[in-house]
Amino acid sequence: MSTRERTDVIHLRIRLLLTGMLLAFGLLCIHLWRIQVLRSSEFSSSLDRQSIRRVRLPGIRGRIFDRAGRCLADNQPQYCLAIYTEELRQRGRWSRTIDKVDEVVNEMSQILGIPRQVTKDDIAQHVQRRLPLPFLAWRGLDERALARWAENDRRVPGVDVYVEPVRVYPFGASAAHVIGYVGRSNPSASTEDNPYHYYLPEMEGKGGVEKTADGRLRGRAGGRLIRVDASGFKHDETGDLQPNSGQDVRLTLDIEVQGMAEEILGERLGAVVVLDPRNGDVLALASTPRFDVTALQSQKAWQALLADTRRPLMNRAIAGQYPPGSIFKPLVALTALISGRVNSSTVISCTGVHTIGRHEINCWSKRGHGDLSMRKALEQSCNPFFIECGLRSEYRRLYHMADSVGFGRRTGIELEGEATGLLPDDEWKRRERRDAWRPGDTANVSIGQGALLVTPLQMAMFTGALANGGGVYRPRLWHGEVQRGELLQQMAWGAEDLDLVRGGMHDVIHAETGTGKRALVDGVVMAGKTGTAQYGNGLKHAWMILFAPFESPRYAVAMVVENAVSGGITVAPLMRELMQRILIRDGVLLPVPGEPGGMDLELIEGEADAG
Amino acid sequence: MRDKLIAGWALFRKSNWLLTAVVAALLLLGVLFVYSACYISEEHEVKPLYLKQLLWVAMGAFCYVSFAIMDFHQLKKYMWGIYVGSLALLVMVLLFGQTIYGARRWLLFFGNLISIQPSEFAKLSTIVLLAGRLGDPGVQVHRPAEIVRTLLLMALPAGLIMMQPDLGTAMVFVPASLVLMFVAGVPFRYVGGLVGAGVCMVAFVLTTMYLPAKLGAGEPLQERIASMSGLTDYQRGRIEVFFNPAKDPLGAGWNKRQSEIAVGSGGLRGKGYLRGIQNILGFLPRSVAPTDFIYSVIAEETGFMGSVVVLLLFSSVITLGMLIALRTLDPFGRLLCAGVTVMFFFHVFINVAMTVGLMPITGIPLPLLSYGGSFMIVMMSSLGIMQSVYIRCDRRASYQ
Repeated sequence: MSTRERTDVIHLRIRLLLTGMLLAFGLLCIHLWRIQVLRSSEFSSSLDRQSIRRVRLPGIRGRIFDRAGRCLADNQPQYCLAIYTEELRQRGRWSRTIDKVDEVVNEMSQILGIPRQVTKDDIAQHVQRRLPLPFLAWRGLDERALARWAENDRRVPGVDVYVEPVRVYPFGASAAHVIGYVGRSNPSASTEDNPYHYYLPEMEGKGGVEKTADGRLRGRAGGRLIRVDASGFKHDETGDLQPNSGQDVRLTLDIEVQGMAEEILGERLGAVVVLDPRNGDVLALASTPRFDVTALQSQKAWQALLADTRRPLMNRAIAGQYPPGSIFKPLVALTALISGRVNSSTVISCTGVHTIGRHEINCWSKRGHGDLSMRKALEQSCNPFFIECGLRSEYRRLYHMADSVGFGRRTGIELEGEATGLLPDDEWKRRERRDAWRPGDTANVSIGQGALLVTPLQMAMFTGALANGGGVYRPRLWHGEVQRGELLQQMAWGAEDLDLVRGGMHDVIHAETGTGKRALVDGVVMAGKTGTAQYGNGLKHAWMILFAPFESPRYAVAMVVENAVSGGITVAPLMRELMQRILIRDGVLLPVPGEPGGMDLELIEGEADAG
Repeated sequence: MRDKLIAGWALFRKSNWLLTAVVAALLLLGVLFVYSACYISEEHEVKPLYLKQLLWVAMGAFCYVSFAIMDFHQLKKYMWGIYVGSLALLVMVLLFGQTIYGARRWLLFFGNLISIQPSEFAKLSTIVLLAGRLGDPGVQVHRPAEIVRTLLLMALPAGLIMMQPDLGTAMVFVPASLVLMFVAGVPFRYVGGLVGAGVCMVAFVLTTMYLPAKLGAGEPLQERIASMSGLTDYQRGRIEVFFNPAKDPLGAGWNKRQSEIAVGSGGLRGKGYLRGIQNILGFLPRSVAPTDFIYSVIAEETGFMGSVVVLLLFSSVITLGMLIALRTLDPFGRLLCAGVTVMFFFHVFINVAMTVGLMPITGIPLPLLSYGGSFMIVMMSSLGIMQSVYIRCDRRASYQ
């Protein structure tokens, strides 16, 4: 190819390119003609402006059900009146736009006959910060206001009804600690400055299951673009983004049992945990005082809750850490029996006081229990007997056993804020108290005192293990996927040893002199243990653990009441009422006519301290 | 001194006056409409944007004149340096760049005083380098090895820009380099083959993404086939939004519809200067009206007639550029002109097409009209180079 020809080819190519580019511009001109001239009536010039309104289609948050399918958290539509402030934009200063919006709010207030809910400051904030988003001037419109809005044929530009789902809790304050609550999520700073981003405030779980299951529950909001003109007329709708609903969550909770537990605790400070010992299902997780989420809309109520010295927001069932007192004794008993240092025929004498070195630890019975065997000692909750058990079996064994059944660490229930409790050992004591572990410490832990701290949930988990023969199941709230629970640990408890301890716990309730005899429910065999833990200056936390029915347990319960008289006197009657109501509901017991669930609270001399 | 003045005057007389006039007209329009897009704003930074635009125009004009005076052959000496320098800037922006709207595009110097967008400079430096190589008589442009080398030189900056990520800007490199090869005389079968290969690759990616769903394959199978394209989920997401803005109707789709309304409501004659209600009362985000969406302000305020006039001005620049390429005998100058013109064309076409709703939204500014410093300087320098080629390479000059 000669240079000449080559140049010709190149020139031809350049001309081709030029023609192509000019043709492309021609195409643009044709399109401009189409939308600016042929379709201009669509964007009619008689109306001075139009806009594309972004309407939010909320993603419905999943519901929460209890094990029987009763709805614990639901959604309800709330009608709001939204002002699309963007469409009211005035020329000149922003303050003119703010005035205009203010004017519209006043106008709407007259039309609807309802007072204003927003101040001018709210408007100014919205216009300056979130102009493209609808401004909700009224929330929770009632039917009358809605009817007035519908009747009013004069369209107000830039105003429309807006449906917003609100979270409702049909059982009110019941199980509020478990279910939790929702709030509006805050936009992150990085998305806020993106002009293309349309931020939609979402409902976000802020506590309880609402928070831990947020990923499943949360729906994704969609939206729709609507072309509106200056008179508020909607032209067409484009650009749907379909919202996605969140998934429902089913809990193992039995809201009936939960309700009973809460009712029975009443105004007392305390907690009740009811587990299914066969799989770790959490049937009830009550904590008092309760709080009502639906009554929490105002900032003031929040502040009051936060300032309340009784700490109603704390879930005592999982976050309350208490010394266990005598309810720890079954564990000490098992340790001693397994160590072989104590057996069913071992007899230890109680003189009413146990002396270790220079320290004296009293038994609650000042006269002493005399000679006791294991079963009787459990029934009587004799302190010297268990101190001796603890000392004989050595602390490392006791520690190992308590550690294996999950004390001193979180159970892993699907809730936030769970406490670990405290299972002290030599290392801990050297670190925290700058002192070595002494026999006195072992003695204290052996009767559930000293530095030992447990949560009601840990206690219930341990009770469940006693009930089912040694299986430590992780307490679980999610219902379903696997029928069998998650076995954290299978304790190697010999059948004979376990039977002995369970026998002692049986006597606690069924023996004439049992410390927990006030928990006795006619017609059902149960086993339990009371406890009274001292803390501070003579203040006591009263405990009771219990499982029922004795032969094939379906319920493992732990109950604690703060600042009470004693486990036997304060908690046992409450426990009796709870079990009675549960078993009547189950059809195991027949309702007793005229039985108000009454309990005799008369104090019997000497029993006030009964652990 | 006197000699220099005379030489300067001679250059001035030899220059293409029409090109200068058209460019000046476009610059004037740019300042006027940046003012129109911003004068209503109360934000400190936005309101005086037109003054800053005047500054950019002045700097642009300086670059235009400087490059026109400079013999463009000088560029050939420094082209590697310029190219490597701009690559270094692109690497720096990835390392230290300022992140705005989720992408690292800006390099800040002296605090916030000077911010530059290295990707803009990379456009020009790549064109200069490719023109230098392809226009070199020693380079055998019809050999496949040379074509591969050219593609690699193009892919390096484009890849760095894609990492920012700025897919739109990176895409500009592809047609620009293909056109340069085309004009350089690379056999048609190669250029056509490359275009075909590109189309096939895009088609393949799109097929893996969309075909299984169309055929009714299940989710897992769709996922398996989509992963065969070798793209990550994130990249596929970007591509999906690019080809299907309905995926993000509330964000990019909203801007597109607003822009369409602004353009459409302009009608035949427009609403008059400073009266473009749609834009002024601002449904378009304030940050993009004077930059990427300046054309919708013009279209609303001046109507169809004004929009077409602006397009005609752009057409004139492109026609002049190609005519200069035609009359130039120097292959380097010809390639420079063609490359610069094609880059100019792509920016105008993509930006206007996006404004009128023909194309998905991409961050491609409108040459000479959009607000912005880096882009203004690069565009004016390119036009200065074009002018320089005109001054030095007319037919008569080459016979001297």
